[in-house]
Amino acid sequence: MNEPARKPGCATPDRLATLVDAAIEARAGLRGRALGDTAASLGEAAARWAADARLREELPAAARLSAPVVAEAIRLSAAAVDTAGMLALIEHEFGAGAAERPAPDGPALVGHVLAANVPALALPAIALGCLVGGAVVVKSGRDDALSAPAFHRALEAVDPALAATVVTAYWPGGDRACEEAAFRRAAVVVASGTDETVTALAGRLGARLIANGERTSVAAVSREGLGRDEPLAERLAVDIALHDQRGCLSPRAVYVEADGAPSPMAFAERLAAALERVARELPPGPATVEERAAQQLLASEAEWEAGSRVLAGAGGLVVYDPRAAFRPIAGRRAIRVHPVATLAALPVVLPKRRVECVGLATSGPEAAALVPGLRSLGVARLCPIGRMQQPTLAWPRGQRLPLGSLRGRPDGGALEIET
Amino acid sequence: MSSVRSLEAELTAAITTHDALDFETWARRIFRHQFERNAPYRAVCERRGVRPETLARWEDVPAVPAAAFRRHDLACGPPEAVFRTSGTTAPETRGHHLVPHLALYRASALAAFERFVLPDDARLACLFLVPPPELLPDSSLARMCTWVGEAFGHGVEWFVGAGGLDLERLLDRLAGAERRGDAVLVGGVTSAFIQLFDACAARRHAFRLGPGSRVMDTGGAKGLLRPLSRAGFLRACWTTLGVAGYACVNEYGMTELCSQRYESVLRDRFDGRGLAPRRWLAPPWLRTRVLDPDTLEPTRAGDVGLLCHHDLANAGSVAVVLTEDLGRTIGDDGIEVMGRAAMAPPRGCGLLLAELGAA
Repeated sequence: MNEPARKPGCATPDRLATLVDAAIEARAGLRGRALGDTAASLGEAAARWAADARLREELPAAARLSAPVVAEAIRLSAAAVDTAGMLALIEHEFGAGAAERPAPDGPALVGHVLAANVPALALPAIALGCLVGGAVVVKSGRDDALSAPAFHRALEAVDPALAATVVTAYWPGGDRACEEAAFRRAAVVVASGTDETVTALAGRLGARLIANGERTSVAAVSREGLGRDEPLAERLAVDIALHDQRGCLSPRAVYVEADGAPSPMAFAERLAAALERVARELPPGPATVEERAAQQLLASEAEWEAGSRVLAGAGGLVVYDPRAAFRPIAGRRAIRVHPVATLAALPVVLPKRRVECVGLATSGPEAAALVPGLRSLGVARLCPIGRMQQPTLAWPRGQRLPLGSLRGRPDGGALEIET
Repeated sequence: MSSVRSLEAELTAAITTHDALDFETWARRIFRHQFERNAPYRAVCERRGVRPETLARWEDVPAVPAAAFRRHDLACGPPEAVFRTSGTTAPETRGHHLVPHLALYRASALAAFERFVLPDDARLACLFLVPPPELLPDSSLARMCTWVGEAFGHGVEWFVGAGGLDLERLLDRLAGAERRGDAVLVGGVTSAFIQLFDACAARRHAFRLGPGSRVMDTGGAKGLLRPLSRAGFLRACWTTLGVAGYACVNEYGMTELCSQRYESVLRDRFDGRGLAPRRWLAPPWLRTRVLDPDTLEPTRAGDVGLLCHHDLANAGSVAVVLTEDLGRTIGDDGIEVMGRAAMAPPRGCGLLLAELGAA
């Protein structure tokens, strides 16, 4: 089926069940295929997908993002599904020479329920499912029912046999009949979305569910990082602007060590100016009234907080907040700048199991010193500021190994450190 | 202190005796009163360059975001009572409203309730699906229900205890009222009504409450165990309780306000405007502006924006509250609440039962 480029009513339970059965059967026929061949096909399909003119044209309206932001999202998503990266992941998780061998025993069917907040989540979902040797069924998110079928078309052009193991579909969330038809044979279902969504799914899917609920990210800048001769504020502004800050890798707060140069307040001013500049290249998409209201209330609330300062502009909103405690921030392209005496305070001020990624501008030893505390907090990814929105396929989301978790391996507190 | 009492006492008297209120004049007087006595508010006004003597229009009185009630004591004098918002057990995220002059709050709450829920001067037995004030002394809803029972009811019963809704006792009481043909007022949080509807459906039982009975619910969709549209709620009131939709009045209120809005249905019916659209009406001392989220200027009629309430009965704290609620105007006298700003924390009396359950 692999639904056409429209959202409602594309999937029916009977059709889904038939397609899933066929995909599992097709996958059984590829049992002897070397993983390296699968990776090569996926990589080629990703490059082909990135050139899909129809996708580039239609996705901005569907995802409520500007065309330049979507173009960047497409580029980054395709880059994450590159053959070399997949081969490295295979070798890392399955051992040396794994690319020459078929996939080890794994799930016959992997299900994915994709979040609506960020586009193109289908690519890593399909790639990881294929790399553990399973058939894959993907339910697209509400705001991007386009990327998954577009990738399926690309894979079909490159490798029809592999494409036959993949089913993409959209149905409105909560449609139990479609859910049951799609996932009844799945050994594992990975769901990303709001806490409400994944909690509801957990009640129905039980232990088969890998839940990626609401998470957020922050950035951290040491005195040494502040003093470097690099456009730090611009890089952070790009991390904020991509996906209009809707993703779990989008920074919502930046902790800046005080007593450095520039000061945290001066850094906040630079960041506000950088957001303006970045918005010219990556303009924000249309905001809902709820998002606009949240932005306004954020500024109104900050006016009532001693020592706070609001730096608002067309590029976004920067709130200088002298209190270190992390507070969820609403709005679009909005971030709090917190001065801290030392970044060593981060594991104390950040919430547990809520922070996915920390973007760093620190020295190597400073970063190394933060690792144990951030790992115990549940952080899954450390990377330089400016690369927060560019995870590879190896990103251990929720501290779970990307392939191992699909094969039922217990969580291992995995943390990706990108230098 | 005497001038504090005099302003609030004067307003209390005006509300109680249904005197015509000159909103603009009162808004200016109250702004001056609050500017002089409410230090945190004055500081923000001065930063904005707004002072009583420079105020051009009542619409220019600076609004206080509801979030400010979470971190500041916003009162013009020592409080007689402190009310706290529901919705979370984290104290730092619960708003608190310090009320220095309860008589004004009481006068406002009762006058609006009578105007919109009892326009026919009915005096009914009150069955409240709300915790009594002894259990939740900082609940403004519980306090309001107490006042309503004292002023307008003959007999008040509370059906929510520490363990939640006491369904068996409520079902017995409703059965008794049905047998006797008594008219009753059933008031409470929407989520409690849904528990009642579900229990009746499970037992395949429905009541036909006596003519003149009415329902007053508040809290909306917050804290519901299952979603239920307004139309579904009204249908359930009819099929489960025998109370027609025109006798079901939804209340919109906030802990931070001493005045409330009510659905227009009963008032419209009483005034011979039965075909008017459902909307939420306010007493003359409460005005609501719908503001564009980007500019905080009034939206075009019917467009959705942030609700900003100017409540003269808040004379003892701050009169203008910018909420996290989204809504639109309906006609020239009503509003409709449409939702919440993104990521606004859940709050409101709809969560009272959930809180009790959590305890």
